Amino acid sequence: MGHFAWRNLLTRPLRTILALIGLSIPILGVIGLFSLSGGLRNLVGDTLSRVQGVMVMRDNVPSPVLSKLPANTFDKLKEIPGIRIIAPEVWDIAPEVNGTRTFAKIASATAGVMREGINSKALTGLFDMPLVQGQDIPRHQNLRSGVYPTSIKEKGEGRFLDPSDVGTNHIVISRKLSKAYKRPDGKPSGLGDTFVIGGKPFEIIGIYDTGSMLLDVVIVMDITVARELLGISKDMVSTFYVEMDDPTKNDAISLEIEKQIPNVDARSMNEFMANFGMIMEQLDTFLLMTVSLALLVGIVGIVNTMLMSTTERFVEFGVLRTNGWSRSNVLMLITFESAFLGLLSGAIGCVLAYVGVTVGNQFLSGGMRLSLPANLFLLGIGLSLVTGTLGGLYPAWRASRLVPMDAIRLGSR
Amino acid sequence: MIDVADVKKSYRSGERTVEALRGVTCTIPKGRFAFIVGPSGSGKSTLLYLMGALDRPTSGQITVSGTDLTAMTEAEQNVYRRDHIGFIFQAFNLISNLSAVENVLIPYLPRGITPELQARAVELLTQVGLGGRVDHRPYQLSGGEQQRVAIARALIKNPEVVLADEPTGELDSKSGDEIYRILRRLQAERQTTLVVVTHDRRFITPSDLVLEIQDGLLKVHESEREHNLSEAQV
Repeated sequence: MGHFAWRNLLTRPLRTILALIGLSIPILGVIGLFSLSGGLRNLVGDTLSRVQGVMVMRDNVPSPVLSKLPANTFDKLKEIPGIRIIAPEVWDIAPEVNGTRTFAKIASATAGVMREGINSKALTGLFDMPLVQGQDIPRHQNLRSGVYPTSIKEKGEGRFLDPSDVGTNHIVISRKLSKAYKRPDGKPSGLGDTFVIGGKPFEIIGIYDTGSMLLDVVIVMDITVARELLGISKDMVSTFYVEMDDPTKNDAISLEIEKQIPNVDARSMNEFMANFGMIMEQLDTFLLMTVSLALLVGIVGIVNTMLMSTTERFVEFGVLRTNGWSRSNVLMLITFESAFLGLLSGAIGCVLAYVGVTVGNQFLSGGMRLSLPANLFLLGIGLSLVTGTLGGLYPAWRASRLVPMDAIRLGSR
Repeated sequence: MIDVADVKKSYRSGERTVEALRGVTCTIPKGRFAFIVGPSGSGKSTLLYLMGALDRPTSGQITVSGTDLTAMTEAEQNVYRRDHIGFIFQAFNLISNLSAVENVLIPYLPRGITPELQARAVELLTQVGLGGRVDHRPYQLSGGEQQRVAIARALIKNPEVVLADEPTGELDSKSGDEIYRILRRLQAERQTTLVVVTHDRRFITPSDLVLEIQDGLLKVHESEREHNLSEAQV
């Protein structure tokens, strides 16, 4: 019977192709959107996995850039057992760099997101805003997990900040920033070149390349110089980067920090990841709702196709019934046909998604990779199969209810 | 043997009730070639379909070889049609995307086709003169050839009864003659009871049983002798 159902689809190729397009596009949408969501998860997960310490910042702020803490919090942290090192940092959005206003870049990127929706290019634009991080250099030197020093050693140029840079206008930038803020001759900025930040000249002594669009936006400098540049007083810091004697106790000591020091949030990377996961779950719910609407349209398309097909084939069903086919045989035949339509749509949607993701990844940078795990393929195929089968049930039921002779009479008119 | 006892059939057509059969009683002996004749709308096709368990009478009883069709459940009717009855329609009603041999095998598609069934279908097509066209699609066959495929389809299950509704209604006279030659030969070989609804009396022979229906009633129950008499009177 499956063979017969398959042949019935091939008999009306144009209608079958149109139905396939109608359902495969929502399936492509499902896979594409979840692929993008998975890519974002991977990007953030990969970035956070490089940071092994705990970020101590003001309570209820989403980013270090918005955090302000009294510098003497350092002394309170020191009293908490299990902490190996406390490294103060100041953070802010970079003021004008080489004559380009950062807020103009933010406005442009935000407009891009609003105009083009959440796509990789627009997101990259939004994550392109340069940030200034001022580090307490001697303390940062003793960290076990320095993302930027490690990156310079692996794929960068020059050197990272050391105690000789304290009080100097030396900076370390990412390769991405070196390309974004080029020399006057159009070449990427390099070692020894100068960045003018907030009207002050800074010499580039190191270029890092973490490959993550979230990390490759930071201009790193000495904390004293950064305070002066950003207008942050000596008795304030943005965050403390804290490493524990035993990294497996990060979560427990984070809780202790929050207990001992009021209005402070000690976020381990697990917590960052969990918070991000919650945001992504909400995004996934939103995506699912959007996709459900698309699938509903797909189901309506299948119902329409199968209703047209069955209405044209009343005589055929009458002949089948006169030859001993039961109602359930007819029901099964039509359900097979719509299930095949769904299955084929799913397969086409998966192939299109695979091609789209493969091509899309060629144009993505900054550590953003669209992911296409096997379970997404299974989801696509499963959804399309269910959609196709559900879409065929009503036409199948309607055709199976026909009295054989009425079917032949109606179909012969 | 087909026994029809005081069968009435009415149905709704819009606001009015149409009485298609108003109490028909007749018997068709096993192995006979029988014709149901009468004007359009007289109820002859309705009677044929009731004999094939395609519909149920409003009242009365129809038995075929002792089996009461009117007492059957729908599932039993399906099985009865599948195993005991062959249908031939005026418009051939072949399925366009199946080949000739696949059309012959339609009753068995839900249960699967065995090599034996396949061989039997090819043999039947050969018997109706289509041995070289088993893989042809309906659109590749002439009207007469399509009706021969329909005959093979009706006979694939070795039915006790074959019911034909105007089997030559859409054919030219040459093809019509050929169809009746085939029907008569196969009916004689298999001793199948063959009931044909027709307008065209020229295919009726003296040995046939003729049931004439008018306005839902059996007008004349002609025996072979009576038929000959009426022919002589004309």
